[in-house]
Amino acid sequence: MRVSAALPTGVAALLFESARRRRDAEERLVARLREAGYSEVILPILDYLEPYEAMLTPATRGELYRFIDRDGELLALRADFTPMLARLLAPRLASLALPLRLYYRGDVVRYQEERAGRAREFYQLGAELLGLAGGEAEREVLRLFLELVTAGRVEGLQVVLGFAGALDRLLLAARGGDPLRLAAAVARRERGEVRRAAGRTLLDVVENGVPDRAEELGPEAEGRLLDLYALRDELAADFPGVLLSIDLAEFARNSLDPRLTAGEGDRPYYDGLVFHAYAGPAALPVGGGGRYDRLFRALGAEVPAAGFSISLERLLEAGG
Amino acid sequence: MIRLALPKGRNLDAALAAFRAAGIPLDGLDGAGRSLRTRLPEEGIEVLSLKDWDLPLYVSHGIADCGIVGSDVLEEVDGDLLVPVRLLQGRSRLSFIGRETALPAPGTQVRLATKYPSTARRIVAGRPWGAEIVKLSGSIELAPILRLAELALDIVQTGRTLAENHLVEIETVAEVSACLVVNRASYQRHRALLNDWIGRLEAAGVVS
Repeated sequence: MRVSAALPTGVAALLFESARRRRDAEERLVARLREAGYSEVILPILDYLEPYEAMLTPATRGELYRFIDRDGELLALRADFTPMLARLLAPRLASLALPLRLYYRGDVVRYQEERAGRAREFYQLGAELLGLAGGEAEREVLRLFLELVTAGRVEGLQVVLGFAGALDRLLLAARGGDPLRLAAAVARRERGEVRRAAGRTLLDVVENGVPDRAEELGPEAEGRLLDLYALRDELAADFPGVLLSIDLAEFARNSLDPRLTAGEGDRPYYDGLVFHAYAGPAALPVGGGGRYDRLFRALGAEVPAAGFSISLERLLEAGG
Repeated sequence: MIRLALPKGRNLDAALAAFRAAGIPLDGLDGAGRSLRTRLPEEGIEVLSLKDWDLPLYVSHGIADCGIVGSDVLEEVDGDLLVPVRLLQGRSRLSFIGRETALPAPGTQVRLATKYPSTARRIVAGRPWGAEIVKLSGSIELAPILRLAELALDIVQTGRTLAENHLVEIETVAEVSACLVVNRASYQRHRALLNDWIGRLEAAGVVS
């Protein structure tokens, strides 16, 4: 009998050389994580859906593979590691010595429309630094992230930096119209729309990533932006091969003000530093992270949390 | 070197005219941009000539840094691209077209022919009537004429073809324009050049 070797859309089998390349890259990254004092957590591929219901946006709900187990429970395949980790740590936090440094690796499954470069199963490796508030933890995770993504032969690495809530004041002060829509227009750099609804400062952010003068963001965001400039300069000196840029428009939908948080960011849970990385001649997104205390809080874990994840397939494709 | 993807077909002329008006020299393009790949070394531009429907994919993968593509296509295959400006020339409408002068009555179920099934599904979801969506690859107006479908969702430019075939543009659902689209990573890498281009396009009054 002839058996087909076809696989469902969006999944791949790695055989021989491609399997070896992926494991080599994985081992290199894992060795560095261990050296930095991170210990592994192994999480299940199946979980209840219910604890995460309140956090799902229409987009993330649409990505989940959900089904009813034989005992009638609604389950989902793992689509993300961080929320599961938050939920599992919540009841144990009081008995753990903080800060905690953890890393994970494994497949996540997300439904995506069929399109080149959009796998439905992909291999993620990530780290979480728990119990350390403020800039110190953000600096540690960003630095570790940069070390990992620059470890291979990746060329043309670009990392975009920002922080949640940076533009909230400007978005809410706009002349009218819907601030959520304006935030989406800023994130897409739609100049016409931004010019119609907002002032010069927001247009500057769309063009240059930052306002001419940091104080235009309001006192709190001003301080954060100045800290971010300092962090960028420090890291730029240590990672000369990486193009580090600050672009607040890129993260316009990562808001803190409750009037704006109904809008979905790509992962709507950041509340401090946010960063994305692109690599290779084709500029593929290879990973990102930031601070997400509020995600942990929403799942019952009162602990400061920062971390990142890396897509191993994308990193390898970019030459890592 | 920045890689600019230009579309084949109806948006090419609008794109070339806009760049010319802005003083961005693409004059080296032979045969009005019909060769697949042209290097303009003096300007530091490489032009790729792509099909409308493939262009967003090339830009979202960063193979092309930026490009010009119709908002109709962009809505359908959104690749998480930046859309700084829209060209004024060559605008058209995305409309419901049919033999009748009105949209289906509430509660009815019709068949709708279109090149844009995802967009159609999104629009129909908010209507009081339902539709079975049939994806066609061209000559959409034939579907209501030959009664394959009661309705069509398609681009209308002048409306002449419709009038000649006794079809009615029942409702405009969106304005369609050719958009400058930019890859997210390329925007960081080529920000100065792209801002210069966008500023010149705006100053020339050819974009909004």
